[in-house]
Amino acid sequence: MQTKIFDRFNLIIFISAVGLISFGLIAIYSATFNNEFVSGNFQKQLISALLGIILVLFLMYLPPKYLMMSSYLFYGFVILLLILVLVIGKKTKGQISWFNIGGFGIQPSEIAKVATVMALAFFLSNKHKDTDISRPRDFLYAVGIVLIPVFLIMLQPDMGTALVFFAIILPMLYWAGLPNHILFFILAPALSAICGFLGTWYFIGSLILIVAILLILKRKLLVSSVLLSICIITGLSVNLFYSKLQPYQQKRIMSMFDPELDPLGAGYNVIQSKIAIGSGGLTGKGFMQGTQTQLKYIPEQWTDFIFCMIGEEFGFIGSIFVVLLFFLLIWNTISTAYFSKNSFLSLCCIGFASIITFHIMVNLGMIMGIMPVIGIPLPFMSYGVSFLFANMIMLGIILNAYRNRKEYN
Amino acid sequence: MDLNKRKNLYYLVLFAIFSVITLRLVQLQIVNPEKFDKEAEKNSVKTIITTPARGLIFDRNYKLIVDNKPSYTVTITKSEFDTSNIALISSLLGMSSEQLRDNLRKIEGTNRFIPARISRDVDFSVIAFIEENRELIKGVDYSIEPIRLYPTDFRASHIIGYTKEISESMLKKQSGDYYRQGDLIGTTGIEASYEEYLRGQKGYRFILQDYRGKEVGPLNDGENDIKPVSGMDLILTIDSEVQKYAEQLLEGRSGGIVALDPNNGEVICLVSKPDYDLNYFSGKLSSQVWTALNTDPSKPLFNRATQTRYPPGSTYKMVSALASLQEGIMKPNSTIFCGGSFQYGDRVFKDHGATGNTGFITSIEKSSNVFYYKLVLMIGLDNWTKYSRMLGFGEKTGIDIPEETKGLLPSTEYYNRVYGPKGWTQGYVVSLGIGQGELGVSPLQMAVYTSILANSGTFYQPHLVRFLKNPNTGELIPVSYKKRELPINKEYFKIIQRGMYLVVQGNGTARKIRTSMVDISGKTGTAQNPHGKDHSWFIAYAPSDDPKIAICVMVENAGFGAAVAAPIAQRIILKYLFGTDDDSELQSVDSD
Repeated sequence: MQTKIFDRFNLIIFISAVGLISFGLIAIYSATFNNEFVSGNFQKQLISALLGIILVLFLMYLPPKYLMMSSYLFYGFVILLLILVLVIGKKTKGQISWFNIGGFGIQPSEIAKVATVMALAFFLSNKHKDTDISRPRDFLYAVGIVLIPVFLIMLQPDMGTALVFFAIILPMLYWAGLPNHILFFILAPALSAICGFLGTWYFIGSLILIVAILLILKRKLLVSSVLLSICIITGLSVNLFYSKLQPYQQKRIMSMFDPELDPLGAGYNVIQSKIAIGSGGLTGKGFMQGTQTQLKYIPEQWTDFIFCMIGEEFGFIGSIFVVLLFFLLIWNTISTAYFSKNSFLSLCCIGFASIITFHIMVNLGMIMGIMPVIGIPLPFMSYGVSFLFANMIMLGIILNAYRNRKEYN
Repeated sequence: MDLNKRKNLYYLVLFAIFSVITLRLVQLQIVNPEKFDKEAEKNSVKTIITTPARGLIFDRNYKLIVDNKPSYTVTITKSEFDTSNIALISSLLGMSSEQLRDNLRKIEGTNRFIPARISRDVDFSVIAFIEENRELIKGVDYSIEPIRLYPTDFRASHIIGYTKEISESMLKKQSGDYYRQGDLIGTTGIEASYEEYLRGQKGYRFILQDYRGKEVGPLNDGENDIKPVSGMDLILTIDSEVQKYAEQLLEGRSGGIVALDPNNGEVICLVSKPDYDLNYFSGKLSSQVWTALNTDPSKPLFNRATQTRYPPGSTYKMVSALASLQEGIMKPNSTIFCGGSFQYGDRVFKDHGATGNTGFITSIEKSSNVFYYKLVLMIGLDNWTKYSRMLGFGEKTGIDIPEETKGLLPSTEYYNRVYGPKGWTQGYVVSLGIGQGELGVSPLQMAVYTSILANSGTFYQPHLVRFLKNPNTGELIPVSYKKRELPINKEYFKIIQRGMYLVVQGNGTARKIRTSMVDISGKTGTAQNPHGKDHSWFIAYAPSDDPKIAICVMVENAGFGAAVAAPIAQRIILKYLFGTDDDSELQSVDSD
């Protein structure tokens, strides 16, 4: 009987997520305790988490066909919300990203990530229309599903969140059967663009690599040479584009990569967050004892910079524990995707795993000073009701996928 | 479609991303967290430094000669300061806008939230203005800091020395990090050599501040705070009355006086004229005054008592005498024929009189030159150099102020170096016998030499400080100094002492300063000065049979030896021994 329960309930995923939420709550408590303006955040997050767990269980037990049926509806509803927010939304820090319903701030772009993954998964797994992703028409449809919300979110404008959508396209399309060479044809220009920006030798190195892979793939000469030309053009035009920018724009881009260039502006937060994490050492300064965080050297540390609290107050031991929980959660989500016979749920798992991984990579990378400064929150931990609910929906569907992994759709 | 392979690719990417994150965590938190620890501390911990007042300085009779008084220092906290107020504040402080801007730029490196010193020792009217307009001139404040006060009617500027704001180069050179910009540091005299005792130890209070620089509370409930330690008071060997009197006697002239207690090396008075008013350096030192002091042709900052090097003239004759006796070249009763002049090679060295067959005592009493021309050739340059060094020449005496010269003591190596081994002759040595030529000594060295002659062969390190006094407990901590017995027979000193006795008490070159109050022994000297009038030297000790004071007076461009120097020495001796003030005009006396 016991084994039967755990056969249908992935305890590791669930415990990891609850652990992360708890850690997040502790950190939010520590971060907001001494701040009268946001001291309500802890309660809000706690209530949201409790309600969220009910939502998780509800979604887990929901028959998969309801999820599939509601995918497009949910997607459409979210698109409407994204348009609505541009019209009646509230402006904070130069962005119109949320509006108020009954005292709760709703941020449609967070929910849009989940809806887009579900819609794309539904499109890619649609047996009746016999979707084939290597067909240009279907490929464009798939990309279109993602680009509509991206376009609306860029209007807010919220570049960080918009970037997340790009992170889900390739992993999901590849999981759905995108051939290796097409994946490569998409990645190659991106690679040469990045290397072109980094420097001449990086650029030349990337071109050599691309030629080598083209030789292995043995595609038609015309196709290969077109791709190579595209790579060269993108690589060169990135630099051309950069040199045409105004110096202050260049500085802004450079300080995204190197915070020390702008220690009082964009770089300030990153310099302070590195100090916070570094000064935590092995064991940390203790709960509510972090000077960097308690004395507010890091602004709004309950949102994007929540990991600083863990790093400074719980040290390496606390930090590595959080990282381990994330790793277990994502690893098991990918394995659920692999074992799931339901291709819709399988694709959802891959999409969600991509979102979570991308968030962690960009967020922790930024906080620890190894990624550009792009403000996106840390899943399950950062304060934010909409964001937490979006994470809970993902968790519910992942657990649903595990529960129903042996059933075909 | 091989989903298994694709799944592994996803695992691989996931693993790679998490490896990078973990490695970065290790790098930040395990490899060098100290670096970040410091940074975090720099951020959040505001250090409030309390500088204790410098120790007080008393004379040998516990009379206060250097005191402290409160002064107002205007500070600016950069984070709060509105730069549109620059014009107003600079005119208030009597500086140019550029100057204020410059000062503000200098504090750039320090914490913007900590008040930085902008102007010292400002008028009370400035403080009143700040108090009345606090709202208008945010960030401008003042603090009360002690500065030096000199409650005396004499200067002793070269003894006490001054404090100055620490320079950027000194800040960089300091070992450790005790001093910060704007701190005062003893720069010359006792203020410099006893800096570590006088300054005490700064106190530190650590206060947590938030990102706005607002104080949140003490760090660790104040457990890390360090209380300031007051500076030690100093009890000097100087006698204020004698110092004051000696300064008056040398007023209007240029020269140096050093008087020592020949029984222990204590400095009774030390005068260098011209001097300067230490009050210039208390509070803010205006750059005009500083430039004026530095460019004054009479060099008032130069310590003539310890830093000049002039030939000592005839006062040096006793060196050769002692050398010849101790080396056995001469017997105590040996004589040398003095015929009024001395020819060496084709050069004739003149004398001011002929004394015939002359013994040591008469040679000193009459200051015979021929005697010593011949004597120095008999003992040779190497012996002469050896005994000169033994008597304290060519070396620093070790007095407890940093300004001191070694002088210049010629030797065989010195002449070889300067002229080449064949470039000089014994003719050079002849002049050394009567204290002329390249020999250079300071009045301090001469005073030490005089006290060795007076006490029959004991070198005492001359010193200005007797005790350090703990201002809280009153405990007196004696300062120890070197003492050295010279390897010269005491009997030979008796001969020298007899000669010096007759210089004043007999028919010698300084008989005009003879007084019925006390027997004085002395010796006159004239430093040949190729640039102008000769410098006048006089060394003396008294009472002759039980010396309590040994003195050297050197007056620049005063002509013949005893003309001016001897009467000054006599009056200081009488002042020290009997407290007598003689305000009459100094009478020039015969000399050499």
